Amino acid sequence: MIRIVTLSEFPPDVVDFVSRRLHAAYGMGSELEGEGEIPSSALDDEQSAYDAVKALEEMDDNVALYADDKILYLTSEPLTAPEGPMGRGPVDGYAQYGAGKAIATSHGLADKGVPLEVGLAKRAAHYVGHLWDLHHCYDPRCAMHPGWSPGFAAYPEVALCLFCREKSERKIKLGST
Amino acid sequence: MSTKTQDPVIGDGSLHVGDRVVYPNQGICRITGVELKQIAGQNWEVVTLSREEDGATVMVPKAKVMGIGLRKVADVAAIDRVFDELANPNTDPQLDWKVRHRENADRMTGGGLFGTVEVLKGLHALSRVRPLPPKERELYDNARHLLVGEIAAAMNIPLHVAEDNLDYALWPPEGMTRKGRPLPPATLGPPSPARASGLDDDLGFEDEELGGAAEAAPAAAAPATAEEAEDAEEEEEKPAPAPAAKKAAPEKEKPKPAHRPQAGSAKKAKPSHAPARKAAPARPAAKKPAAKHPARKAAPAKRPAAKVKGKAKGKR
Repeated sequence: MIRIVTLSEFPPDVVDFVSRRLHAAYGMGSELEGEGEIPSSALDDEQSAYDAVKALEEMDDNVALYADDKILYLTSEPLTAPEGPMGRGPVDGYAQYGAGKAIATSHGLADKGVPLEVGLAKRAAHYVGHLWDLHHCYDPRCAMHPGWSPGFAAYPEVALCLFCREKSERKIKLGST
Repeated sequence: MSTKTQDPVIGDGSLHVGDRVVYPNQGICRITGVELKQIAGQNWEVVTLSREEDGATVMVPKAKVMGIGLRKVADVAAIDRVFDELANPNTDPQLDWKVRHRENADRMTGGGLFGTVEVLKGLHALSRVRPLPPKERELYDNARHLLVGEIAAAMNIPLHVAEDNLDYALWPPEGMTRKGRPLPPATLGPPSPARASGLDDDLGFEDEELGGAAEAAPAAAAPATAEEAEDAEEEEEKPAPAPAAKKAAPEKEKPKPAHRPQAGSAKKAKPSHAPARKAAPARPAAKKPAAKHPARKAAPAKRPAAKVKGKAKGKR
């Protein structure tokens, strides 16, 4: 089951759309679990964005998770991530690979010219994919394609390519439940 | 029966119990010890490793540790050179699949960091020209998985940050620079022909149908093995620039059964997907494996020999 927790206010139809898209992409149940609050301690040094890694680690919620449950946090706040060898790049979410928690933001979607529900669903599918150990995909139409690439806006449908879909199905089948 | 040895010398002496190492094609492991094991009546001194990803135990005979390419996790300087290499956009994909397959297999079994980088970069460059065949798609994913794991281990950063950084180099976002040099922003690559879903389906049942049909299409069009299919493509396809590939919309799928079609349907479907493809040259009958089932004996005569071989191969 994919459990969605909103950390900002989203119209109900947007959350519903995201939930249905996740169900279509992964064949798993997906439902809105409730609302939460992004921890203020996760604000970065410049107080302009939330550190996604810290936010996930310090998130205080009462969501009951069973084996193989994945939890997805949705926010509209800007996110950042620790600096890597290439410096800082665009960050629209973060996922604990092969684990249970992911966060995706709707921040910056308006600049890309993608409708809120479609963009958010695509990002949500991307980060949930990382929870199933999926890597980035070169196919611009796949939800696992990097979000900063032109393919994100060019192909607004929320779906996985065949390779990613089969891989996620294998992983889901191997799950402990 | 096994006994543990204290403070053993492993390989050339550079490896110790507790070290994080890279096992070629397996990923990051930790050396947990050296044990004396009795296997088939013989005493073997084996190095035991625990794969970090899933905790699986790997045992390697101590004498073969250096031979299989076990090495320490790369240092930060080596990772820096990896990113220099990844951010260098000048890579021409190897278009000859035989050469590519041999080179990539050698690099992956060698287990070197830069070998994995070359595999990833080469296949990435190829994917910008056209979608990868299934085996190479898997190799691309494996190379990516190994590299992301090693970058994360070497730099002590989360896997997700490691992969994002890897792709900042391969698919540079707007304004990305590497050591002060601006990188050309990523352009739209060719989409894979077979895919699932549209926007108007809510529960993904259309996905399933499309996915099944799309999955069936390549299986039906494939003359035999992935290599042979690729070979045929190499002969006829010229690398097309990305916009042209985008314009060439995939053919509308014809109604097909949701399951993978049998050989008969594959034969029927072939002309619609590859009308321009040359007929595969007939292979000598002696090379064909003898069909065990009498009903299947007649079928091979109707279709090209390459197909028969591929089918038999698949069944093995």
